[in-house]
Amino acid sequence: MRRDFPRSLDSLSPLYEFAEETFESNDISPGVRFPVHLAMEELFVNMVKYNPNVSTDITVEVTVTFLGDATNDATSSKEVTVTLVDDGGVEFDVTAQRQVNIEAPLEERTPGGLGIHLIQNLADRLQYTYKDGRGEVIFTKGSGNEDV
Amino acid sequence: MFEIEYGDNGEVLCRGRLDAAQCEKALGFMDGLEGPSTLDFAELEYISSAGLGILLKTQKRLVGSSTGLKIINVNNHIHDVFRYSGFHTIFDIEAKE
Repeated sequence: MRRDFPRSLDSLSPLYEFAEETFESNDISPGVRFPVHLAMEELFVNMVKYNPNVSTDITVEVTVTFLGDATNDATSSKEVTVTLVDDGGVEFDVTAQRQVNIEAPLEERTPGGLGIHLIQNLADRLQYTYKDGRGEVIFTKGSGNEDV
Repeated sequence: MFEIEYGDNGEVLCRGRLDAAQCEKALGFMDGLEGPSTLDFAELEYISSAGLGILLKTQKRLVGSSTGLKIINVNNHIHDVFRYSGFHTIFDIEAKE
């Protein structure tokens, strides 16, 4: 399923409902849903936050791939892939390693960078491409790797 | 949908999904906390980095004058987000049984 969302935090709730439609119809486990929702929000919010003067919608696509035995039942191994396309935004490579010290004492902590840090840790695969002003992020998470 | 309010025993009850769109509501409430406080996450389903930022900001403010925040009844998904973020070292966290 693919849908365009206005570039606004008001889109987060519709974005969640959109993904849930796909998850429900494909019997996706909570251990996959949570990190996928988290990744979708973090990536979408980054696109909103770093492109305040861009008005184009952000395109989001959610697909489910059945691995091995291609049957839709609770025991099948499934992989969820989320693609976000930001046409007109600045380049922002979400796969680049960033310095986040999660062992720092409280007084040295800042919230910056935690979203990307979480996505990088939760993804089975994370890809980013940018060409001619069009950024595309692909986040993949499969059942059997539900560490959240 | 996100709700935050005081419970019968003075704990702070958080419900629903704390995403970036709900941060203003959450921060408005958390800024009113004074002294050590307990956040009950029994009905909190989801939190993103925006919500983590509010917890961090509140903890920094409170720890100067008290023991800060205790977070109880944390579901396993949120607990893992805390772990990946290193929050288990700067908050008193109890998982949901």
